[in-house]
Amino acid sequence: MSCCGNKKIEKTSSAEPVAYFQGQVGRSLDYVTRAKSQGKKVVGMMCEYTPRELIMAAGGVPVCLCGGSADMVEPAEQALPSNLCPLIKSTYGYSLQKANPFLEMADLVVAETTCDGKKKMYELLGKKYPMHVLELPQKPDDDDAFEHWLAEVRKLKEALEARFATTITDAKLREAVVVMNRDRRLKRELAQLMKSDNPPLTGRDLLDMRSLVAGMPDDHEQYERASGVLYGRVITPSPGSRVRVLLTGVPLPHGAERVMDIIEGNGGLVVCQESCSGIKPVMEDIDAGAMDLMRAIALKYFHLPCSVMTPNEHRAWQLEAMAREYRADCVIELVWRTCLTYDIEAQSIKLLAEETMGLPYLKLETDYSPSDTARIVLRVQSLFETVKGRCHVQR
Amino acid sequence: MYYAGVDVGSRTIKVAVIDETGRQGIASGICDQGVRQAALAHNLFDQVLTRAKISRQDILRIVATGYGRNAVEWADTTVTEITCQAYGVRQQVADVRTIIDIGGQDSKVIRLDERGIVYDFVMNDRCAAGTGRFLEIVAQRLEMGINDLGGIAETAVRPSIISSMCAVFAETEIVGLLANEESPADLAAGVQRAVAKRMVSMLGGRINGPVVFTGGVALIPGMSRALSDALDRTIVIADTPQTTAALGAAMIAGAATERAERSNRPVSAGAHYLEGIR
Repeated sequence: MSCCGNKKIEKTSSAEPVAYFQGQVGRSLDYVTRAKSQGKKVVGMMCEYTPRELIMAAGGVPVCLCGGSADMVEPAEQALPSNLCPLIKSTYGYSLQKANPFLEMADLVVAETTCDGKKKMYELLGKKYPMHVLELPQKPDDDDAFEHWLAEVRKLKEALEARFATTITDAKLREAVVVMNRDRRLKRELAQLMKSDNPPLTGRDLLDMRSLVAGMPDDHEQYERASGVLYGRVITPSPGSRVRVLLTGVPLPHGAERVMDIIEGNGGLVVCQESCSGIKPVMEDIDAGAMDLMRAIALKYFHLPCSVMTPNEHRAWQLEAMAREYRADCVIELVWRTCLTYDIEAQSIKLLAEETMGLPYLKLETDYSPSDTARIVLRVQSLFETVKGRCHVQR
Repeated sequence: MYYAGVDVGSRTIKVAVIDETGRQGIASGICDQGVRQAALAHNLFDQVLTRAKISRQDILRIVATGYGRNAVEWADTTVTEITCQAYGVRQQVADVRTIIDIGGQDSKVIRLDERGIVYDFVMNDRCAAGTGRFLEIVAQRLEMGINDLGGIAETAVRPSIISSMCAVFAETEIVGLLANEESPADLAAGVQRAVAKRMVSMLGGRINGPVVFTGGVALIPGMSRALSDALDRTIVIADTPQTTAALGAAMIAGAATERAERSNRPVSAGAHYLEGIR
């Protein structure tokens, strides 16, 4: 048993293509810098509701700007309330420090009205960077919700066309849809390797196998290879003896992987990550043959089950299916401190896990600071003891 | 042959020794926590053995628990205090369904299902409000010993309203309330209520009985009544509320050995201990 949470799980660094993705930030930066020098537009985004296809069809490169660095939280607190989620603070801190080269290169930032904290932070960010905000419908089950969302997606199209003096044709859109469908399919196939009794990857490996820029051709080549190379590969310690964890809740941006490492450093294996840094955004494809492509694109994003939606029942169905397919032993929910929507929705998820799925559930509320690592380790170890105790009794 | 549990908590260290039946407590001891916790735990362990006239060779296996569990390098393995607490309390109250544990700097609620298996648990986060340390700060501010809080609280006329969110701000509040001439009795009762209210919100409205109270704070007069009032149900104080987790640790050591003997294989890895935990 590991004594502390910062014990790194044995990395599978020698094995391509897991190792290939270790350098993803540098490679994304090269890619974006080169694209910019060739006259392409750099478009920053912060949320999986943002339709990348539109940006790509407008000749732009969409790049994720979500901050995962604890070092950027303190500078942000000079301007933002300390009682705010670390993801928002870190993202904003990068802008104050001019430390995110992607943001500094951005010709446009596409933001969205997910939570109130983000929404108001974007107002501040919008004073320094060109900004377009997508308004998300809040009640997805209402009859007029989708039409409202479609109108928002159309407004984004017009905004991109006007700003970049281009026309987004159906042909360009279709081309982007094909690229992104492939991106999603490859990521799904990779994630599905975790369904095995002895997955060839750790959850951390899988988390690392994505880039800030989705859809880069070299990445796709690696994903294609990965499914073949990794199949049947053995990792140590043996996954068979580890507790299979379904990790849900908030996303883990690059740099904020601590909770994943604690789980996997203390006897767990994250077999499925239901969040925006996991498989949530790649569950559904877009009908590339649709007559009305804009509608088809809007539909895919409309179905994303984020806690900002009310009610958000789609998330519960998806979680239930994932727990079954990935044969989870327990559910761990990560909530970034003060993320009210996930924190409150956690009550329903706890009930769902314990009563419907019959699985032990643990909510971890934390931020980017390592100060509470010992406390999180204790909670995770206790959960795993409970899981093992239950298995014993059932046998 | 005997088994031992060592609980290295935030404010105190506890040791419990049980006999080879794996059930009967033989000896126990408590000392204050300090900087050199490994040495303190070792000294306490030696003292308990000496008092019980047991030699170190007679101890077959040791399980360490508590926040400082990894400091006990001479233990055979570590198990978290959640599991140990459940194990120890079940020994004293067989059908326990809810454990409220208030220790030095930590408070927690452990729920067990009808089979006595840990169902879930909640712990306080980041602040000492609702813990023994909180009561200590208040007692100090009222210029009395922590054990006198309960007695004086019984004479309260109108218990003060005190925040249960932050121990440091609560102290500031008390300074203000004293300036407004609120009586120490009302303040003491108010602070006990604040701790109890904190536990009620941790319980989240789902309480099954019997409810057992453990941890050092269970020994403070009046606390179990404050809790019982806040929850509107009967609370049982564990027989030895401070050492139940250490007792549970010793029992886990005993259970692992018994199982190993039955299956004729050595107790080696940590997993072997966990197998029997429920």
